[in-house]
Amino acid sequence: MQINPSKTRALTLAGILAILVAALGLAACNGVPANVQPTIQAGVQTAQAVAPTIAAAATALGPTVNAAVGTVQAQVTQVAPTIAAVATQAAGGQQPSGALVYANNIDDIVSLDPAIAYEFSGVLIDHNVYEGLVQFIGADLANLKPALAEKWDIKDAGDHWELTFTLRDDAKFSSGNPVTADDVVYSIQRAIALNKSPAFLYTDIAKLTQESVTAKDPKTVVITMPKDASPQALLTIFTFTLGGIVDSKEVKAHEVNGDWGSGWLLDHSAGTGPYVIDHWTKDSEVLLKANPNASVQPKIAQVLMKHVPESNNQQALLEKGDADIAQNLTPEQIADVTTKPGVASVKGDSLLLFYIGMNVGVKPLDNPKVREAIRTVIDYDGITKDLLSGNGTKWQTMIPNGLFGANSDTPFQQDVAAAKALLKEAGVENGFEIELGVPSGAAPGGVAWADLAAKVQSDLDQIGIKATIQQVAQAELLTNYRAQKGQLTMILWGPDFPDPDANVGSWTDYAAKSIAYRNAWDDKQAAADGRAAALETDLAKRAAEYKALTEYVLHNGPYAVLYQPTQLFGVRSNVQGFEWNPMGYADLWTVSKQ
Amino acid sequence: MSFGTFLLRRLIGIVGVLIGVSIITFAISHLATTDPAIAALGDHATDEQLAQFRAEYGLDKSAPEQYLIYAQNLLQGNLGVSIRTRRPVVQDLLQYFPATLELAMAALLIALLIGIPAGIWSAVYRNRLPDHLVRIFALVGGSLPIFWLGLIAVDVFYNEWSLLPAGGRLDDFLPPPQNLTGMYVVDSLLTGNLKTLENSLWHLILPALVLGYFSTSVIARMMRSSMLETLPQDYLRTARAKGLTEFAVIIKHGFRNALIPTLTIIGITFGSLLAGAVLTETVFSWPGLGLYATASAISLDFPAVMGVTLLAALVYMFGNLVVDIAYGFLDPRIRHPS
Amino acid sequence: MAQAISPDLDATLTPASHPRKRRRLPAPLRSPLTMAGLGIITVFVILALLAPLLAPYEPQQQKLAQRLKPPTTEHFLGTDQLGRDMWSRLLWGARISLTIGLVVVLSAGIFGTTLGLISGYAGGIVDEALMRLTDIFFSFPALILAMAIAGALGPNLVNTMIAIAVVTWPVYARLARAQVLSLREREFIQAAIAIGVPTPRVLWRHLLPNSLAPLLVQASFDMGAAILAAAGLSFIGFGAQPPTPEWGVMISEGRKYVGTQPWLSLFPALAILMTVAAFNLIGDGLRDALDPRLRSEL
Repeated sequence: MQINPSKTRALTLAGILAILVAALGLAACNGVPANVQPTIQAGVQTAQAVAPTIAAAATALGPTVNAAVGTVQAQVTQVAPTIAAVATQAAGGQQPSGALVYANNIDDIVSLDPAIAYEFSGVLIDHNVYEGLVQFIGADLANLKPALAEKWDIKDAGDHWELTFTLRDDAKFSSGNPVTADDVVYSIQRAIALNKSPAFLYTDIAKLTQESVTAKDPKTVVITMPKDASPQALLTIFTFTLGGIVDSKEVKAHEVNGDWGSGWLLDHSAGTGPYVIDHWTKDSEVLLKANPNASVQPKIAQVLMKHVPESNNQQALLEKGDADIAQNLTPEQIADVTTKPGVASVKGDSLLLFYIGMNVGVKPLDNPKVREAIRTVIDYDGITKDLLSGNGTKWQTMIPNGLFGANSDTPFQQDVAAAKALLKEAGVENGFEIELGVPSGAAPGGVAWADLAAKVQSDLDQIGIKATIQQVAQAELLTNYRAQKGQLTMILWGPDFPDPDANVGSWTDYAAKSIAYRNAWDDKQAAADGRAAALETDLAKRAAEYKALTEYVLHNGPYAVLYQPTQLFGVRSNVQGFEWNPMGYADLWTVSKQ
Repeated sequence: MSFGTFLLRRLIGIVGVLIGVSIITFAISHLATTDPAIAALGDHATDEQLAQFRAEYGLDKSAPEQYLIYAQNLLQGNLGVSIRTRRPVVQDLLQYFPATLELAMAALLIALLIGIPAGIWSAVYRNRLPDHLVRIFALVGGSLPIFWLGLIAVDVFYNEWSLLPAGGRLDDFLPPPQNLTGMYVVDSLLTGNLKTLENSLWHLILPALVLGYFSTSVIARMMRSSMLETLPQDYLRTARAKGLTEFAVIIKHGFRNALIPTLTIIGITFGSLLAGAVLTETVFSWPGLGLYATASAISLDFPAVMGVTLLAALVYMFGNLVVDIAYGFLDPRIRHPS
Repeated sequence: MAQAISPDLDATLTPASHPRKRRRLPAPLRSPLTMAGLGIITVFVILALLAPLLAPYEPQQQKLAQRLKPPTTEHFLGTDQLGRDMWSRLLWGARISLTIGLVVVLSAGIFGTTLGLISGYAGGIVDEALMRLTDIFFSFPALILAMAIAGALGPNLVNTMIAIAVVTWPVYARLARAQVLSLREREFIQAAIAIGVPTPRVLWRHLLPNSLAPLLVQASFDMGAAILAAAGLSFIGFGAQPPTPEWGVMISEGRKYVGTQPWLSLFPALAILMTVAAFNLIGDGLRDALDPRLRSEL
């Protein structure tokens, strides 16, 4: 009983639409001046191959149309260059030489101002436009490297920390202005003053104020921090978009009503990175062009970040060579597209964790044995192998792979008997009813939230836990979750800066009002251990402390970590050097096309 | 009633409806159980940032207060600031609306160019093959989920046949024409930019066909039934007996009269095109009001949603007004119904 | 005295007020197209009612090892991205889509008709106010209003039905009002009013039955329109949510597989097409049956 719906479907629709196209061709004939024709040669061949289809369709319409068929063909010949352009783009035909087309869903961009951008697409772009004082190179998140600062020093000044940064001599902004200490001070102060989404990294994590940052001389910046904040964390924050240094002269020139130039930086750039922002058309595209004054010159002169919300359109663009990189393909689409000639895939790691938060304020989740039973009954292998097609790694502790202190233990895999025994010990051997909250839409990495929820629901059902899936918009889910109103909440966590404390603090410290709070899990000892580990300067000791703490939270905390996603990108085979950074961006300046 | 009075009454009516529309949309936005501040600032926002955000957008005031502020601003042509894009809503609408208008007008044009002849054809060959074909075509058009049609159209015309672009308004790296109306086809015509004109038309065809299919069937059906009413079969017989060509009979006796009822539904059709654009634009990455409205509603950006709603209502009412005026001119018996 | 005789007189007036009752099923309703429409809907209703018996699998039952399988004898419409049986999901989906159509049309129809009857009967300022209210709702872009409602209340099936009903009711108000205006001056209504039949009874027993015809035609078209609108809302994420086997949700879930596993979106799209087309055919048949000008020719 095998049928082939794609053929039937294509034929039926082709018929209907061919008639429409022919009719439109007729309608449009009069409107296009004939003198367009000679401009194009390249496309004629493709067009002629196409023309018979339309002509045939037109013939089918009967005598009235026949007279016009010649015109239809002429029309096709005229418009054909577009097709030809499309066909030859991969070969570098009409596309400006050295351009990269990156298909992505970019409707999350709020602003391209590095003090405001905190969404996936904005961070990806700003990473290629701005530089910070220090940086991580490639996927190595353990060793800080110089960027705008050629050296730095952390001094224990008794009641506070003192960090001194010495700036490089040769760094210039895209305007040609040299980078000075004043620019650094201005950049940090404006981020604190604007106080937008990412500002808490400076104010809450590093405990900086506008007065903390001073210019000692044109090439030296001094930052003071209180003793209970971690200098190591601040250094990693400087590698992030928020740490991007802006050209204070240029930005001040565009200040309007004390907005710190944020209205202008919304869609302009004033950085030292390899690219400048040429334009950003909302929900449509961002065009990056090489920054002539950058110390690192990109291999490709232009990058077009194109808004393509439909992932099957991304797939089609990639197959045709109209896009060089496609960001949002599902595992199935990747599997399909890589069978096509000229298409490959690139795997990118992430620091994200998919987890289920279990609110201990809700009975019987207050019982650690019940939480352990839930962790025990989930089929982690089924999720990563079947649902994700390998597009994720089984991971169960709270520090993800890639960060310092990561703990790779995965003691759990579905064991129904053991889970039942745990429930029995907890006195709820017949199971119970519970709500499972989950966001609507697709989760990063391509799998639908609903599919994950449905899988967990059927796993829980095996030990009598009847979960009702409550799927709501992410914002609504978060509103409930933040107010401790969740029961089981399936959601995603990503660290704000690449230091283990970005996770551990939030996951253990009730007072931090982050996810330990949301799950009503108030464990004073875990919180104290987490704080101690954050400030520990002896790396071996720090590692041992995190090992013990992750172990403890794995079995006692209110979380069931499902997996750590990886992200697959579809790329053209001739694209070289595209490497995804686990923090959620790529160094586009290292990408080249053969 | 004089034409002036008629127009004045209608314009006052439009203002009244707009006030009603704004009140209802505003009321809906206050049914929201979700905090727009969290929607905008996300998972990691501190309480302090949330409070600052609420203050910035006036979300900390009571609902009636917020409406009064909104209405005051509205009178000055200020629709507030979008929560998602952080830009004045008016500025956003000016960017997105021309794209949708261009798409909807193209779809309407297609609907008229195909729907009217198809309807006539169908009526003339009543209960014969052409009639059956047109009726099936119209039935499918009125019943098919257009978003699916769009998906398939992209798959077939771009993927399989490489015939038409997959989406967007222009090829990559092709700069848009000088911004006069925001409609690329019109702007490139006005500035004589033939390359852009051709390219923008090429990008417009598929989304306009998909969007226009529904309206095409509505118009074909309407045209068919009004032709049948105005063109009794014995008319044709007599005319033929008198030696007139069938074509002349159809045009002379049928077409003009049949056009009038068809005209009345064009205004309504235009409204449905704007709504359909929401779905079509998603499928074709067409950066218009539909994409804007979808993204805004997801992020609970109610200033933006209200802006879109008011604009769409305005367009709908103006469409109907224009049709009513045209109606008066086409049919001398009717003088501007109120 | 008026009150004493009114029941009898009222009863004797009633038959006269149902002139259509005496007719046979009009010819247009017996046309092959209308019969086809009725047939399709009957089949879908039976399938929907018997879904628990007919569906070979639970609609949510996952077999990850069997995911994305093309149609086979075991899963004769194939399986989806979670290895769920498409045929079973389509059957359960029929329940949902038909329910959406019915609930929307009933709620919008009852609400709109009531307002329309009142408006037409009362006249004056009440009429003016209610009609301006319908103007407002007519001017709303339906899908955008529905998006706003779904956005504010949260996307789910119930809110979808509310949203669509909110933009559907004004048509019924206008139609009912127009009917009342044309009937009000008719003798049997005037007589009923004159003998003191209470207003609600006049509305319910005399005006409503005689106004039903165009309302029914509209209802038939709106069944289809509501199913289409709900599918559209689901497609952009504002309607029913996965894993609900609503047809629009199924198309939306299948959109990523259009090029690779087209049956995921094809079958629900065909189901929508057939159902909506069937309601449109029935609507056409009803309208032809009730429109004397065209009846004789068919």
